Amino acid sequence: MKKKFLLLLLAASTYSFASKAQDTIKTTGDAPLVLYGSVDTYYKDDFSGHSNIGTSFASDNNSVSIGMVDLGLKKTVGNASFVGELSFGPRGQEQSIPNSGYYHIQNLYVSYAFSPKFSATAGYMSTFIGYEVISPTGNFNYSTSYLFTAGPFQNAGLKFTYAFSDKVSLMAGIFNDDWNAYTSSHDVSTFGAQLTVTPVKNWTAYLNVASGPSSGTIFDLTTAYQISSAFKLGLNGADFTPAHGGGGYAGVALYPQYAVSKAVTLGLRGEYFDEKAVTGGTSANVTEATLTANIKSGPLTFIPEVRLNTFGKLDYSSFTNSNGAPTKSASQFVLAAVYAF
Amino acid sequence: MKKIVVVLLCLLVAKAALAQKDSLSFDEHNKYIYYKVVEQPGLTADTFQNRALYFLKINYPKNKIDQAGAPATITGTGKFLVLTGLSVAKHVAGEINYTFTIGYKDQKYRYWLTGFVYSPYKTDRYGNSVPEQGVEIPLESGLSKLEKSELNSCLEQSGTYSIKFGNKLKEYMVRVSATKPTEAKKKVISTKDW
Repeated sequence: MKKKFLLLLLAASTYSFASKAQDTIKTTGDAPLVLYGSVDTYYKDDFSGHSNIGTSFASDNNSVSIGMVDLGLKKTVGNASFVGELSFGPRGQEQSIPNSGYYHIQNLYVSYAFSPKFSATAGYMSTFIGYEVISPTGNFNYSTSYLFTAGPFQNAGLKFTYAFSDKVSLMAGIFNDDWNAYTSSHDVSTFGAQLTVTPVKNWTAYLNVASGPSSGTIFDLTTAYQISSAFKLGLNGADFTPAHGGGGYAGVALYPQYAVSKAVTLGLRGEYFDEKAVTGGTSANVTEATLTANIKSGPLTFIPEVRLNTFGKLDYSSFTNSNGAPTKSASQFVLAAVYAF
Repeated sequence: MKKIVVVLLCLLVAKAALAQKDSLSFDEHNKYIYYKVVEQPGLTADTFQNRALYFLKINYPKNKIDQAGAPATITGTGKFLVLTGLSVAKHVAGEINYTFTIGYKDQKYRYWLTGFVYSPYKTDRYGNSVPEQGVEIPLESGLSKLEKSELNSCLEQSGTYSIKFGNKLKEYMVRVSATKPTEAKKKVISTKDW
């Protein structure tokens, strides 16, 4: 009995030590293979009783619906690294493009750092354009902006990044002729560049351009300034002109956010979006205001939000009220839960 | 009897691991500090200075060093990564920036790490772990911004890091020569002559 007790004590002590030893800090050398990602689900209620607001994701009305499971793997050995990130579920498949029917690639690229200042990356990458992304962990609001829905989601190509200093860096690359495509239609002819500037501590601005004979030309400014420990202000502005046929869009979105406690942050997205007129047509504009809260509990974030959209004129509004009659405005409530790991 | 000794040893080791969080104390400014004074008879202040600089150059090449401050003192800043999760789900939760000081005089030296400030990381659009812009949390006020488990993890890993820093410094301070031991010349066998 005594022997068993001693052995039990020994096992417990060794287990305790082993558990703590796993927290050893690794500051140098190669990072281990890392698994990361997220899972999200939501409930939406459009106040008209049917879906009205046609931006990406959160599309199902009066339904507890799923977003996606996002699974990423990454590893760095020496100067070489890779990222492979795939998603499964409506948000990552039929609501994103391209849609293979089985999965959607968020990131799939390899990267090599020639020096601490200069690196090259090739593959299929999340776009460098815009404020919002597909992954719900990358956004504050759960529903997405018109600018996000209209702009590129991802670009395939080869890009080089050079850091001139801690405050200025430049990315330039050549990308496939079309956005959001795993393969090019004809060639690799879209030029893309991003100038990153940090004017003051905690303020970063990205000046972006992508231009090609097939994909058209987009100019984009994305910036965020953490003004105090509680208050952050973000801004996104973009102007897109298609390669052929006129039209395109321009818009601006403002993202003030305020942390009211360590668990709760409130944020507003105010957006103005203008669809430019195609030849012989008229332009159309829409404004939206989305009030969102992020309530954190460990890796889980609850996101309640209320969104109000208003078209400039009834003529081109796509909204209908509860009776099915055309109306300029639509509003909805969303409650989402996002788990990040 | 042997088994009892082994069990006691295991318990001591386990207790030492658990005590890493408690290795940090508060200084007169109410900041977390890891502070040690080491007696090393027979060595001069100059020797300690050379060995401390060599220790930093070899082990912490990215640390910023400042020797322009108080005399007989080396100060600087550094940072280390804070990990969370287990096994393949282990990932970088953030980084902790700290300041260090190594002071020396004849026969003894002292060192301390303090000013621990945690910056949480987030996963960016490309899947990279990057610092969250503008979020810097001194561990002393950690409870107002972090979950208790997060703060405990930061304190524990700061303690572990400080102990490793001190143990490594001690190794270099007691070395007879501050130069890296040269590797033994490889024995080459010639197959031409036989």
